[in-house]
Amino acid sequence: MLIKLTGGTVYDPASGIDGKQQDIYVQDGKIIDKPIGDFLVDKEYDLKGKVVMSGAIDMHTHIGGGKGNIARTLLPEDHRQDPVASNDVCRSGCGHAMPSTFVTGYRYAEMGYTAGFEPALLPINARQAHMEMGDIPILDKGGYVMLGSDDYLLRMLTAKKDQKAINDYVAWTMHSAKAIGVKVVNPGGINAFKFNQRKLDLDEQNSHYGVTPREILRVLATAVKELGIAKPLHVHGCNLGVPGNMDTTLDTIQGIGGLPMHLTHIQFHSYGTEGDFKFSSGAARIAEAVNKNKNITIDVGQILFGQTVTASGDNMRQHANNKFASPNKWVTMDIECDAGCGVVPFKYKDKNFVNALQWAIGLETFLLVKDPWRIFLTTDHPNGAPFTSYPHLIRLLMDRTFRNDVLSTIHPEAQKMTTLASIEREYTLQEIAIMTRAGAAKLIGLQNRGGLSAGNWADITIYTDNVDRQKMFEKPDYVFKDGEVVVIDGKVVHTKWGTTHIVKPDYDKSIEKDLKVYFDKYLTMKIDNFRISDNEFTEDGRGSLTVHDLKAVA
Amino acid sequence: MSALTFTLKTRPDQRVDMSPLVCHSLEKLELTDIAALKLQCGKRKVRVDELFTISGYDNKHIIIKNSFAKLDYIGKDLDGGMIYVEGDAGAYCGMGMKKGAIKVFGNAGIYAGCEMKKGQLEIEGNVGDFLGGALAGNKMGLKGGLILVKGNAGDRVGDHLRRGTILIEGSAGDYCGSRMIAGTIAVMGYTGKFLGHGMRRGTILLWNEPKLSASFNDCGSHTLAFLPMLFNSFSQLHSPFANNENAFNRVQRYAGDMSEIGRGEILVRIVN
Repeated sequence: MLIKLTGGTVYDPASGIDGKQQDIYVQDGKIIDKPIGDFLVDKEYDLKGKVVMSGAIDMHTHIGGGKGNIARTLLPEDHRQDPVASNDVCRSGCGHAMPSTFVTGYRYAEMGYTAGFEPALLPINARQAHMEMGDIPILDKGGYVMLGSDDYLLRMLTAKKDQKAINDYVAWTMHSAKAIGVKVVNPGGINAFKFNQRKLDLDEQNSHYGVTPREILRVLATAVKELGIAKPLHVHGCNLGVPGNMDTTLDTIQGIGGLPMHLTHIQFHSYGTEGDFKFSSGAARIAEAVNKNKNITIDVGQILFGQTVTASGDNMRQHANNKFASPNKWVTMDIECDAGCGVVPFKYKDKNFVNALQWAIGLETFLLVKDPWRIFLTTDHPNGAPFTSYPHLIRLLMDRTFRNDVLSTIHPEAQKMTTLASIEREYTLQEIAIMTRAGAAKLIGLQNRGGLSAGNWADITIYTDNVDRQKMFEKPDYVFKDGEVVVIDGKVVHTKWGTTHIVKPDYDKSIEKDLKVYFDKYLTMKIDNFRISDNEFTEDGRGSLTVHDLKAVA
Repeated sequence: MSALTFTLKTRPDQRVDMSPLVCHSLEKLELTDIAALKLQCGKRKVRVDELFTISGYDNKHIIIKNSFAKLDYIGKDLDGGMIYVEGDAGAYCGMGMKKGAIKVFGNAGIYAGCEMKKGQLEIEGNVGDFLGGALAGNKMGLKGGLILVKGNAGDRVGDHLRRGTILIEGSAGDYCGSRMIAGTIAVMGYTGKFLGHGMRRGTILLWNEPKLSASFNDCGSHTLAFLPMLFNSFSQLHSPFANNENAFNRVQRYAGDMSEIGRGEILVRIVN
């Protein structure tokens, strides 16, 4: 079947096209060049005056893994307030802050998203996370495997194992857990929490292992680079949410010594200690450091006002924040001695000084970082806000008047503490397309995704241009996933199953000998059960794996 | 004035969500509009006049005739006015009521008066579990107002009770007053196991000696001057609670739950 998309205004940063009217041809799920000679178009869409982008990619969204289910169990009211009925195409579901899997897929697709990546794939819980993501329709998905607080790695560091051994362990874990990247959360801090440490600075030693977060970051970033993994180490740094953590973040940037590193939800790591309330914005200095250090990429983790739930592997910081839980209930737990988990419901209020300033800090970061290829649009769903608020966030970035109108309604002291009103920058459509499409695909190392040139998979979103960018991005006219129409006028009309993106770096098989001993002695599952096989994705007939190339290692 | 009356024609097999039929929602509607309202019945939506014959016009007074135990959410979020239920009420009767009164002449199901904010709920028969409690996962049950039950109540009476009063002329089941934050529960009959389990503050007033958990401390016998005032506040009720002969001021006081903050009290009548 040959589909022709005629006359749309195309924004395709991956091939440098910025708002040019051109036709797109789609055949067998992929975008092709205009066929030569005579040809028959089976279906033509007239897109004159419409905006055409590739399907959006959320590179950091908590859509799979145990913490999601804990959040769901903890907040039945979140489901009761937002029931979703089934129809001819979609299954029923519910949920606003942490929607059910099916509703997650539908709502993402209805905003023009065609892929989402789970950033906290705990190795020991990876099977459940993949199964859960396997139930999310339409979207492509993938995960970054979480290392850095697992006892095995910390033991290796204490025993001064060489980098090669650590590379093997990282590659083996990625293989076993089926990941496309590596994440580290509060490096070593989750583990230190279990030895009664309640904070861990960049150069503070784990009281049991004697390892510092700085060392952990260094070895993991090195492993990611040496294994040729495209996705830079995904770092949720130390001291999340602590006033003054800006210095830790700057130190982390310096300390990585030029290795590629992605600092995630950096808004939560950009706080100073100035002013009457000893809480101020560090966005300007963080943005300056990001602008200067080309090895650093970031996503923002913008907060938006309203009820949500924070779900994180960072049990140390989640425990510290439990008194802010709203409604007043929370969970912190250990995950099989391998990682941690903390779920704390949150209500961000515009009349609360701290929340209001967090909101402004996120936006300052967006507007002060110059290179849209190195910054990504996230709310750290659901931690800063549910992903359904992205269109609102896009409007805040693209419309200075609107931004300043909202700014004038927040806590007056917070207004005084931010430079947001004086920042004139407005994002362009091309910059939004970079942040949410081409840049994200490039960062994760997705081949043939995030672009509209021939050879790419036909994940395409078509919007009606509207000065109200929120309305525009809320309701795309059409969304294509792998060449099939899944959304018309902002409603799902057809569902299908996306693929799971992974990489398979090489490792020395002999490491399994020592790992087997470790598994037998300490963990709840046997090493053979730990490894997830390819079949587990494909045997139900709807999942699939897409293995991406590794980068050539110099 | 003749009360707006809904008479059930036949009993549907599936449960019915009655929440649209509350006084404040019907205020500006003509009878024909009311007849055309849709009620959720199982997985179908049905017109009101498919289930009920409608008569009367005073929408400040609603009567539900031939009611039975599958009519759920009667008087949900009621904001003023009276609802009389002739027959049984289903689950969630009077849930979240803000103002007004509901009187059930038969029995009521689970979660009667749950998360009610104000107003009065009176039940002639028995009620199910979680009377005046909180919905699963929620942190606050009844926040104000008064619930009077003439029969017996199920388990978990006043779960997460926050404020307000629950009066039970009969007996209460297990876990009565569990996780109470504050407020008052009075039971004339008997209580089950794990009375006041995890209660923080608040008062449970009893006419008969309960079985107490080890986490309640005996604080001795007291003559409490507030009890006559409390009984006086019940004097307008059509209930033995309004009867002077049932009042008392001499009680044995137990404090607990000591495995929580332990500021709650169980007061048991001392018969002279």
